[in-house]
Amino acid sequence: MYSNPAYILIAAFIILITWYAGIQIEKTTSDKKARQFYLLAIVANITVLVFFKYTNFFTNTAFDLINFTRQKLFHSNITLSNSLIINVLAPLGISYITFQAIGYLVEIKKGNHPAEKNPGYFATFLLFFPKIVAGPVERAHHFLPQLKQNKPFDYDNISGGLKKILWGLFKKLVIADRLSIYVSAVLDNAGHHTGLSIFIAVVFYVFQMYADFSGYTDMALGFAKILGFDLMKNFNRPLLATSVTEFWRKWHISLSSWFADYFYNPIAISKRDWGKWSVVYASFTTFIVLGFWHGANWTFIIFGALQGLILTIEFFTRKTRKSIRKKIPGFLNIMLGNAFTFLYFAFSLIFFRAASVSDSFVIIKRMFLKGPLFIENATMIVFSFLAIFFLAAVEIKTEYYDTLFTFSNNKNWIVRNCYYCFLLMLILIAGVFDGGQFIYFQF
Amino acid sequence: MKNSFKNLLVNKGYKYLVLKLVIFFMIVFIADFFIGKLFSYFYFKQTSGWEYRTKYSVEDTKADILIFGASRAQQHYNPIFFEDKLNQSCYNVGRDGESIFYQYAILKAILKRYSPKMIILDIENKEFLSSQGSYDRLSVLLPFYSHHPEMRPIIQLKSSYEKYKLLSKVYPYNSMVFKIAIGNTQLSKKKEEDIKGYLPLTRELDEPIRTHNLSEKYDIDSIKVNCYKAFIADCIEANVKLYLVCSPYFINTVGSDSSMTIGKEIAKANNIHFFDFSKDELFLKNSNLFDDTVHVNVSGSKIFSNQLIDSLIANNKNQAVN
Repeated sequence: MYSNPAYILIAAFIILITWYAGIQIEKTTSDKKARQFYLLAIVANITVLVFFKYTNFFTNTAFDLINFTRQKLFHSNITLSNSLIINVLAPLGISYITFQAIGYLVEIKKGNHPAEKNPGYFATFLLFFPKIVAGPVERAHHFLPQLKQNKPFDYDNISGGLKKILWGLFKKLVIADRLSIYVSAVLDNAGHHTGLSIFIAVVFYVFQMYADFSGYTDMALGFAKILGFDLMKNFNRPLLATSVTEFWRKWHISLSSWFADYFYNPIAISKRDWGKWSVVYASFTTFIVLGFWHGANWTFIIFGALQGLILTIEFFTRKTRKSIRKKIPGFLNIMLGNAFTFLYFAFSLIFFRAASVSDSFVIIKRMFLKGPLFIENATMIVFSFLAIFFLAAVEIKTEYYDTLFTFSNNKNWIVRNCYYCFLLMLILIAGVFDGGQFIYFQF
Repeated sequence: MKNSFKNLLVNKGYKYLVLKLVIFFMIVFIADFFIGKLFSYFYFKQTSGWEYRTKYSVEDTKADILIFGASRAQQHYNPIFFEDKLNQSCYNVGRDGESIFYQYAILKAILKRYSPKMIILDIENKEFLSSQGSYDRLSVLLPFYSHHPEMRPIIQLKSSYEKYKLLSKVYPYNSMVFKIAIGNTQLSKKKEEDIKGYLPLTRELDEPIRTHNLSEKYDIDSIKVNCYKAFIADCIEANVKLYLVCSPYFINTVGSDSSMTIGKEIAKANNIHFFDFSKDELFLKNSNLFDDTVHVNVSGSKIFSNQLIDSLIANNKNQAVN
């Protein structure tokens, strides 16, 4: 679970403090005491998260600021290096563990959920292995009761779980890892590439991200299902969303709903006397923090701010857009909305992927330069487009024509088996299993 | 009996699951077998392209002179000049992006069939750099695993699970479907000029020379070094005249590269001649002989091939005199 066995102690600390605080919050009759336990546990969780994930970012930023001030105000040429840097790896899944712990505490404080008395159940809730690396961010009221149910042998669970794992593997190995080859060759060397190559790489990256993340989630959901657990749905065909607002209701649902419940809503409610501006303020704050949650870098903050910006614009223009939509045919509406949402998200992901803000701007700038399309390995490009086509076909079919015909849930078991065999063969034929597939790139 | 089977289906217990899994894996096994056979048939029937050249190197070439190495071998040594000047047949078995692992595996397969008269192995800076990519790229040799036992120990370096993955008949052809399809048409022949394994580059580099410090330390892969030693030992044992060559760069270098030092020491210990063209003035002064800083173009290749051949002839004369 952790890169260092000693990190188990960190998980144990989070579990014990959250579990104990939960019981005390519920037990105590004094509001003041309940609040103290609540704050203590919340602060402990946030401290662990911030220490491991953000210390270096904060100290680096502070030193950059000091150096900048010294240069501008005192014309000093001496640059101070960050002496407070810590060389520790963030424990695996720390963001997910702490967020689930915080959500649990909030629900107990609100009286929506009873505190879990059994530390074993509670530890399993936070550390359930399928979801520890990439979520979903589970809720106590959804997961804890499942732990207490009997789990008899269930054929449908095992069969359904295995199918989900296979589909997740397909998305990860055939789509995400395949696309990543071109994406890395271009975006990691953006200074040497131009217009169309960068544009294609940026578009590929959206599909790569989606296939990678939702593939992991499918596998997590599949493993959990085999064990008899239903984890939260995390993706609902987000790339078919017709607005960014809708996109965030379909993308990483467990995280965005967590932020909606425990961050956005409290802020919007507390500032409700600001009128519409409370929504703007809440959107921006929420998405900046959500962006920052993904990683300790200014690029993630910009990524979040871009989401906040477009949500604000969509909020203020919703009536105008609605009236325009009435004048346009339905399919065109969907296509335009879809294209805009996709391209906007693709643009914002430039910041998400780049190592620094300046790298992001290099990519954006070079996207507008004319130049030849980089095709070092044509078969790689063909594989990539076929992978995207397959993913898009499955998603569109599920979204719009789900009742029409199905291979995966066909009543005929031969058709079903052949379909899953076909997926397995495609994984063997087109999956990327290691670094053997590469684009030779040298300038 | 009939009733219990019916119950099994209705109750959907674990026996039902096992039954369904057995059926599913039987379908998978059959599909894997037949698709694998199909791929195998078309793989070994190719007439052009990357995979064809590897297949030709492993199974068909009987050239007197063979040139081994990565992209710099493939694009620096033109077999036509070797054939004309040395009056012997020549084939370039170099392959882009491959390391000494690939070279050694190919050598093993060739030596099983025949002993060439001369082998030239192109060595480059960071040849023995520890890199996972060198192991991963052995995937191009997977189609030979089943019927070339001499290559297996090297292919198995790819990962400890490779022999299990290779139970699948389709897996060896992973990511090759389009390459195999193209290799069975004339498309590759039209697209790229393949002169007995040599792939000429046509661009002319137009940039000032850069300086690299080669004395920076990096991790040396001892398995690569051992493969290099084994390559030399096998050539000596098979009585093949081996030459080690570092072909030209368009980079000014400071210090010495660790791999190159090791390579030269091992060559010296085995009494193998090592030709180093990395600091050749003619090439360092003419960017127009290069396609990029590490690959010569067709003009550079012509000059280099002839220079090397002259050096080989001179070396042979010296050895004869001594």
